Amino acid sequence: MQQKEFVELCRELALVDDHALTKTILPVVKEHLANNSQNKLPVIWLETNDSGDNNIAFMNTTFPYLGQVFSEMIDLLYSNTFMAAQGQDALMILEQTAVLYRGRFTLVVEGAVPLKDNGIYNIIARTANRSITALEAVTRLGSLAQYVVANGTCASFGGPTAARPNLSGSVGVRDVLDKEVINVSGCPTNPDWFVGTLAHLLLYGRPELDNLGRPTLFYGFTVHRHCQRRSYFDRGDFAKKLGNIECMFSQGCMGPRTSADCPYRQWINYVNWPVKANTPCIGCTNEDFPDGSTPFFTPLPEKSGQAAAPGGAQTLPAGVPITRGGGPG
Amino acid sequence: MSKQRIMFSPVTRLSGLLSVEVIVDQDRVVEANASGTMFRGYEWIMRNRHVTDAVYLTQRVCGICSLAHGAMASYLLDELYDNELSENAQYLRNVMYGADFLQNHIRHFYLFSLPDFVRMPDSPPYHEQNLADARLNPADNQRLVGNYFEAIKAGQRSHEILAIFGGKAPHQHSFVHGGVAVAPTADKINRALALLDSIHAFATTSLIPDTELIARVYRDYFHIGVTPRRLLSFGLFKFGPHNEQALWRGGVLTDNQLNDPRLELIKEEVTSSWYAEQAGPVADAREVEPAPYKPGAYTWIKSVSYTGRPYETGPLARMIMNGFYQGGTSTMDRIYARSLETLLITELMREWLLKLQPGPAPLKQNAEPVKNKVVVTTDAMRGALLHSARIVDEQVERYNIITPTVWNFSPKDQYGQRGPVESALVGTAIPRPDMLGTMLGRIVRSYDPCIACATHVLDARRNMQDKILF
Repeated sequence: MQQKEFVELCRELALVDDHALTKTILPVVKEHLANNSQNKLPVIWLETNDSGDNNIAFMNTTFPYLGQVFSEMIDLLYSNTFMAAQGQDALMILEQTAVLYRGRFTLVVEGAVPLKDNGIYNIIARTANRSITALEAVTRLGSLAQYVVANGTCASFGGPTAARPNLSGSVGVRDVLDKEVINVSGCPTNPDWFVGTLAHLLLYGRPELDNLGRPTLFYGFTVHRHCQRRSYFDRGDFAKKLGNIECMFSQGCMGPRTSADCPYRQWINYVNWPVKANTPCIGCTNEDFPDGSTPFFTPLPEKSGQAAAPGGAQTLPAGVPITRGGGPG
Repeated sequence: MSKQRIMFSPVTRLSGLLSVEVIVDQDRVVEANASGTMFRGYEWIMRNRHVTDAVYLTQRVCGICSLAHGAMASYLLDELYDNELSENAQYLRNVMYGADFLQNHIRHFYLFSLPDFVRMPDSPPYHEQNLADARLNPADNQRLVGNYFEAIKAGQRSHEILAIFGGKAPHQHSFVHGGVAVAPTADKINRALALLDSIHAFATTSLIPDTELIARVYRDYFHIGVTPRRLLSFGLFKFGPHNEQALWRGGVLTDNQLNDPRLELIKEEVTSSWYAEQAGPVADAREVEPAPYKPGAYTWIKSVSYTGRPYETGPLARMIMNGFYQGGTSTMDRIYARSLETLLITELMREWLLKLQPGPAPLKQNAEPVKNKVVVTTDAMRGALLHSARIVDEQVERYNIITPTVWNFSPKDQYGQRGPVESALVGTAIPRPDMLGTMLGRIVRSYDPCIACATHVLDARRNMQDKILF
């Protein structure tokens, strides 16, 4: 609608009863906002095969708090967790917004996608006639989206959902889509990583990604490199047990081959993180989590998923060879 | 008009994926099928791993009640390794456990349940709310919407208490077998107390009055979604050197008879579940396996019963059995009991924090298992939770979990008996067709469903009873 037309319409209908002006203008304004709003990121969030921990982690965001994220940063158009609409109303919103915001919305997927039996192991919604599998929804919405963000290790790489024996044949979103997936891995994701990625998309577009498709902003260095206990490691001063203040390498710490900024950033209003809590990092952002991290309390070279020779020593000497993976650790 | 089959899907504002199909005849719900539509096979994931992995790995069963599984796995390992818990360890564990309850309950009431009763702002993610039966006056409505946003902070602060001691949340790290790996020091205790004070204030000035207002304005829901008075709890907040005491008692309440639960009376079956049929209580039965195309089945959740009857579990069961609440078993009773429990837990946590003695990490883990099979029970946020494990050389051979949502969302068993949620839905009168979704949502959410937790495969080689007890 042109400006002149709009002004005339306002004059004509201004004095008509029954909100005629509002009725006429509102759909136009809504359409305009949908097409031109640059201030907020339109987001469609699918929950698939997961534990729901990433939406809980998202609720723990501080500055912005969740309410501020909704009011200032994103238009969360569909979310099984948060939306007020329910039932077929919710499903209709999903269908309509996917078309209305085609090519402009960000698809967030939380959870892995089962492939076995055409994905029947995860159904995001049903109608009277059919079931919509996560596989179908992720494929279709992924093709319509501007950006695809995998929130959590299940969505990024399969994660615990795809851990052996993986009965549902679950995989990460990258394995069902032909387009780029921004992997915000973590079990769960630190809310800063996820909200920070959305912020980057909103303010500056696509962030720089590492070789696993993760924003280098958060995954650029290993936990080991920035660990507060690095000096203990360098001196070969290893914890005898959980609860000690020395290096947790002896207790199974995955820090040397895990890319994440936990030591600097910390969790839940920045109060703590696993090594500070006298326990090992279990490598929850990794491509091979959890199978590559178990047994959790066995030193890295002796874990079942590792190539190194087994050994019984609980205390390791300084200078043990450390493999390095992920980013430029 | 004749019978109508209506699919209520997706049921939003909960953990996991749920669909409910109802049949409405005239103005009444005459049948209901609640379907958990996700399957991960979590207990199989536990197999052939070191048993101490259970604390971190089972937390990944569920995001909103993660610590419940970590705590259960820790209790299980305590028994397996014969750990002796110090008093400090138990206070600290319960502070952490309580914090995760606060997080859960506050978020459930405000973020999930409140939009069933309150008109939310017409902007995402609250757009097109379609609340068919909004009764609050504008001033009250506006205040409760404001409290929704305050609840976001209270929920975050609850998890901050957990993280101070647990490293992170969800999926904390320090509550492990033998105690807690973090030292309770004056600064941490003090910070937790300050956070708790703000949550307690929120519970007193918002949660409780808001619950009372909703209960008053929607008082007909004390007569809607009523289930038979059969309630189950395994008790809550373990104390004692061997986790042998529970602060809040558990029990099996049948009408007004309260008895201690006997685990051998728990049975599970898969008549309406997408699993291959179990051959019965004889040796060499086939292993139960996922069967997504099984005729007549409609959910990944199995049926669980006690003495052959379905039982409801949750905060309402705990509050009634421990004498904190004298009410019925309706939609509003469930909501009310959960809010009441939240307030009580804030008071208990304060007591425990003040009893903590500053000192080193209260942790002592024995190295050698003294058993090869263990069953442990306690209550999680949503009610009765059971973990059991059988091990060989510290490797898990079998690991089983029965979650509260399995009790509440049990599908119809071989005799056609409905589980609590289905039974609560059936018989509901729907005054106007446009109210159906709103009413179903209110009833279903009063159970605080967690479908991620509830959908796992039975892990049994023999019969169901063996599965639980080996």
